[in-house]
Amino acid sequence: MISEISQQEFNGLAHSGPALVEFYSKTCGPCKMLSFVLREIDKTMPDFPIYQIDFDANQELKERLGVKGFPTMIFFRDGNEVERMEGLKQKPAIVKAIEGLIV
Amino acid sequence: MSIKLEKITHIIDEQHAAEENMLKAMKGGSYTIDAPYVKLNPYLIAPLTSLVHFTTPDETEATVLVKGKDKAGDMSFTFPKGKEHFLPVYGLYPDHANQVEITLGNGAKKNLTIQTEKAPASVHLPTKIKTTAEYLGSNVIFLSPTSPGSLAAYDYRGDVRWYGTLNFAFDVKRSKNGRLLLGTHRLFMPPYHTTGLFELGMIGKIYKEFRLPGGYHHDQFEMEDGNLLILTQDPQRGTVEDMCVLVDRTTGNILKTWDYQKVLPQDVGGSGSQDKHDWFHNNAVWYDKKTNSLSFSGRHQDAVINLDYDSGKLNWVLGDPEGWPEDFAKKYFFTPVGDVKNFDWQYEQHAVVVLPDGDVMCFDNGHWRAKVKEKYIPAKDNFSRGVRYRLNTDKMEIEQIWQYGKERGAEFFSTYICNVEYYGENHYMVHSGGIGTYKGEACDQPATTYRGDDEQYVTLNSITVELKDGKVMYEMHIPANYYRAEKLSLYCREDTLTFGKGEWLGTLGVTEEFETIPPVKDSGTIPDKYNLRLGQETDRLLVKGIFEKGQLVMVLLEGEQTHAYFVPTTKRPFIAMCVGTFLEADDRTVEFPVSFENLSGKFKVTLIVDENKYDTGVELIV
Repeated sequence: MISEISQQEFNGLAHSGPALVEFYSKTCGPCKMLSFVLREIDKTMPDFPIYQIDFDANQELKERLGVKGFPTMIFFRDGNEVERMEGLKQKPAIVKAIEGLIV
Repeated sequence: MSIKLEKITHIIDEQHAAEENMLKAMKGGSYTIDAPYVKLNPYLIAPLTSLVHFTTPDETEATVLVKGKDKAGDMSFTFPKGKEHFLPVYGLYPDHANQVEITLGNGAKKNLTIQTEKAPASVHLPTKIKTTAEYLGSNVIFLSPTSPGSLAAYDYRGDVRWYGTLNFAFDVKRSKNGRLLLGTHRLFMPPYHTTGLFELGMIGKIYKEFRLPGGYHHDQFEMEDGNLLILTQDPQRGTVEDMCVLVDRTTGNILKTWDYQKVLPQDVGGSGSQDKHDWFHNNAVWYDKKTNSLSFSGRHQDAVINLDYDSGKLNWVLGDPEGWPEDFAKKYFFTPVGDVKNFDWQYEQHAVVVLPDGDVMCFDNGHWRAKVKEKYIPAKDNFSRGVRYRLNTDKMEIEQIWQYGKERGAEFFSTYICNVEYYGENHYMVHSGGIGTYKGEACDQPATTYRGDDEQYVTLNSITVELKDGKVMYEMHIPANYYRAEKLSLYCREDTLTFGKGEWLGTLGVTEEFETIPPVKDSGTIPDKYNLRLGQETDRLLVKGIFEKGQLVMVLLEGEQTHAYFVPTTKRPFIAMCVGTFLEADDRTVEFPVSFENLSGKFKVTLIVDENKYDTGVELIV
């Protein structure tokens, strides 16, 4: 399940279980491509929560999480960061990271 | 818009065709010392070279003398005995009726006049040169450009005596076989990584191209057995300039790899120019036989690191330890001793050289000259220098024993590039090739990175100095930026001209394919606005177009199987623009190569731009 959220909505999440948070920018080609990759993953893993956050519109959260560029993917388990990927990644690498969270 | 697939002939093929024609012409005539065959620029890329051919009834030596504009500018070379003479002529002046004298062993002489063309504006001329003919002799100083310019060689008067017409970049070194090793002109990955190295005769003939899957940047080093250490990277892991490979000189195969990610933390000790993508910025390599170790200069960690050649383990780190983890610093970093009041660490250094006695020299750019932002020193108050350190690796102590440049302050300051050379005790070169001002003040960024309207406020300079026993013996200023300076003689006994086609060695590797293809609509032929150009080289497809920042672009090769490649359109902010000679005037221009490794068959070339898929009308046969 992919949802676009703001930093306020991020703060309000339950932060339990696994989740993937992606920081993107509308002016970024790799972010556009990554968005398609995440949609493909969503087709095969519809129950896994993927949150997309606009890098430019959520300054406080990006600074709090130490996000320096886009796209950046942070993999959380129970609110704790387990892994971080910067830049465009291919589907198998992301799926592997998600599977690592779920196990 | 209809697109044509441009067939791009590799320079090795072009040179081969030119050589075949030349050999045919030589064989078709009966050339003698009185009526020799003369071919200017025989290999197409070195306009100040020529080839003279004739036969003699008896075996004899032949001497070529290119007359200088004054006597001290003469350049001559005696070729071994033979009946069939193929004499390379080096050191011609541009735009000049050069007088060339050929003398045989029996005293027979022939005077030739070889008229050359004017050098292009990209061959910059010195604004100042101070040396003597006695000091420089028949040597010339080669300068490789980083701002728009040409690789060129200057004699003791500052006259140009050799230049190349290809976009050669980075280091130029003479190999033991007399030929030059230098970066190819074929762009592999923006902004300046090229496909590999050329082995080039002074006459301009390319004997070998060593291709690498990760491309080439900055520096190379020839080992005693002729194999080559070449700086490279693995582009698929998203970082650059953090690997070195040993390449077999005969086959071009990679024999060994050193990966700095395995020995260094990447998120500490960063210089003012560091980012995650270019975390180390390796700009030099040196092998030291005595210690069987490799030294690598990493600009973006203000560090020279030394690895054991065999095991790849880290031996030591030369640099300011501030900001590094305490246990790491304690184990690998040095403590200054001796005249510590006048001791300075090096920052964002270039060109590490290990001297015969084990001392380490480098060009200390001094960019930011601190590890912590609050302590950064601006360019106008800063200095660059050549520096020599003595290391005691048992006690982990360091002593600064020589420097030059600090006393010159900002006038000699280069934020980037540059090199030093060691010729013998108390005999050095210090090349500050990246000097720049913006609105009259030394700049904190390479002045070449100012674009558009700002360019009018920029001045560039390059100052090359040689010192012997503390005295400046040579100083040349040129109003451009030059990566390195290298003193060489044009003639070299080992650099013998041999005929036959040059070789491509190694591989460009397989271009990473992208598994996901976005849903798109067929939108007909590609619009003109993308100014798409497709070129087919021997070993790759070149895709070039103009795209807006952030557009999603993919190249598809549709055959029995579809191969999809993601094309980055978001420019990385390269703070360390070591070589800007590959930059296009329109900074929206994107160039993307697809290697033919593992590809064969017929392919329809299509392009995805955002939600549209365009047909280029081009069929590619590999």
